Amino acid sequence: MTELLQYVANGLVSGGIYAIVAVGFITIYSVSKVINLAQGEFLMLGGMVTVALIGMNLPYGLAALLAILLVTLIGVLMQKYVIAYVKKANPISLIILTIGISTLIRGIASFIWGKDAFALEPITSNEPISLGGVMIAQQSIWILAAVLIILLLLWYLMDKTILGKKINACSVNPMAARLMGISPTKMSMLAFAISGATGAIAGIVIAPLSVTSYDIGVLLGIKGFSAAILGGLGNPLGAAVAAFLLGIVESLGAGYISSGMKDAIAFLVLIGMLLIKPSGIFGERSVGKGGL
Amino acid sequence: MMKQIIDKWGKSIGIYLFLMVLFPFVMPDEYYRSVGIIIGLQAIVTIGLCLVMGLAGQISLGQAAFWGIGAYTSAVLTTKYGLPPFIGLIAAAIVPGLFAFILGRAIAGLQGYYLAMATLAFGYIVQIGITEWEPVTGGANGMISIPQMTFFGGSELSMYFLIWGVVTCVLLFSLNLLNSRVGRAFRAIHKSEIAATSMGIDVRKFKLNAFVVSGMFAGISGGLYAHYMGILDPQPFGLHESIKFLTMVVIGGMTSIWGALVGTILIGFISEGLVLLSEVVPGLQGDVDTIVFGAILVLFIMFMPEGLVPRIRTAFEKGQAKKAKGMAEEAQRKQQVERKAAT
Repeated sequence: MTELLQYVANGLVSGGIYAIVAVGFITIYSVSKVINLAQGEFLMLGGMVTVALIGMNLPYGLAALLAILLVTLIGVLMQKYVIAYVKKANPISLIILTIGISTLIRGIASFIWGKDAFALEPITSNEPISLGGVMIAQQSIWILAAVLIILLLLWYLMDKTILGKKINACSVNPMAARLMGISPTKMSMLAFAISGATGAIAGIVIAPLSVTSYDIGVLLGIKGFSAAILGGLGNPLGAAVAAFLLGIVESLGAGYISSGMKDAIAFLVLIGMLLIKPSGIFGERSVGKGGL
Repeated sequence: MMKQIIDKWGKSIGIYLFLMVLFPFVMPDEYYRSVGIIIGLQAIVTIGLCLVMGLAGQISLGQAAFWGIGAYTSAVLTTKYGLPPFIGLIAAAIVPGLFAFILGRAIAGLQGYYLAMATLAFGYIVQIGITEWEPVTGGANGMISIPQMTFFGGSELSMYFLIWGVVTCVLLFSLNLLNSRVGRAFRAIHKSEIAATSMGIDVRKFKLNAFVVSGMFAGISGGLYAHYMGILDPQPFGLHESIKFLTMVVIGGMTSIWGALVGTILIGFISEGLVLLSEVVPGLQGDVDTIVFGAILVLFIMFMPEGLVPRIRTAFEKGQAKKAKGMAEEAQRKQQVERKAAT
């Protein structure tokens, strides 16, 4: 029983990370109908830049803040100079474009930092906490807290503020939004900024628990996308729930079947889901439309 | 059929054959011949990928997985069960074809991002599967002493001609496909699936066929690769290689079979150049080629989405049209002068 709970706890933590990636995908997709396949690279950069800045003797907090700002900036620049440039491109070109960007970022990261893995100091001590026999790393609690805060803030932004309404307006009908004086380009840039910032934060909080290296982005990206599909590509809440489910399934699979197959499980879930119900567990309004 | 192709592409085929036969004699160095062999193996894969991307308008980010399945199928059959490489190669075409059929059937209704991610995920599953299925595939350590092919003595030169012979077959097959009713159907699908459907084209079936053919091409190439190298490990069959194949098709021009070939040769030499460069420049460790491929993908989609070969062809045709126009004007002027002289 304790073993089972332990696996569920581990799954919740990794599921939280997938949730942030998934929400990042959805934020950009809903505004600009682009799936940003470089999403995972934002996480990688968040962790790696923080490690590098701490290596330059910057204090932890400042390094993390600078890393978040830098990745946000990269997101904005990517939208402004690359994605916006090929606005009228067909979906195949957009896929190749974001694949190209993610490959480029990964290559540059391996060029700068090499292929070694780096670890970050945990925010609080290394000592795990025992909850009724289930051991939880203190960093895991930080991760879950960060995930919940990000999800809450995003929910508040999207549902309760004028800015969120503008973003939603662009996702529903860009033409009508433009007529109302909202710039879809600006909103798309904002969406890239949000997903850059949240991705970087996620990358920083996971770096102490699982080491970070130039190529962690690919796996995190696909798993986040799997969660987004599972939950329904237009539904952030559904995606977050699906991400936690995926994390738990993966952790149980790793525990009871084989740890080597851990990553394959997420992908099998993805392919299976695409077969049975591509609109996701919680349904989605716009499957097959827009950029797809 | 053959006549039509020769009518349409005779000149290109002639140039291709000439350069292909000439290459190993201009470069008598064994090293460059082996580079030529590897490029030929990749060309078989990219021509197949071009059928999927350029004609069916679909994307596959898991082409290296089919390549790997082909390689391991032939390697396992010949090494563990003692079958001759020829039988292994047939299996190397069939098994990935079956995988492509099952996967393709499953995801034939998917488009764009969904298909991209599904094939990406498939690629990962295959690589993980190869690594984990240790009793058969040797796991991360890989397989050794896979029987070499004894084709006209099995020298580097004979291997070169064997592999480029296969490239030529694959090329002619694909050109033929492009030129047939099937090719026209593919182009219709690429332009508008809805219009194609309303014209009675079974879009799903065509996409599936393209996917299966591309899987089989990749498998054959994989089998040849296994017997050429003599050793295998799971490392080359991952995302990195799939992206390399993608870059090759994009740079040459997604909608052109010749583009896939030209792109493969270009990227092949760029990769070789980077390897040589990294030996001279000490700071160039890491994945320099990853940076180059990523940059090529981004720049081409931004500034030359149609790719090199269609771009050059358009420029050439424009030049020809201009020349023809100039000649016509010249003749007209001459005529006028003559008429004036007569009056």
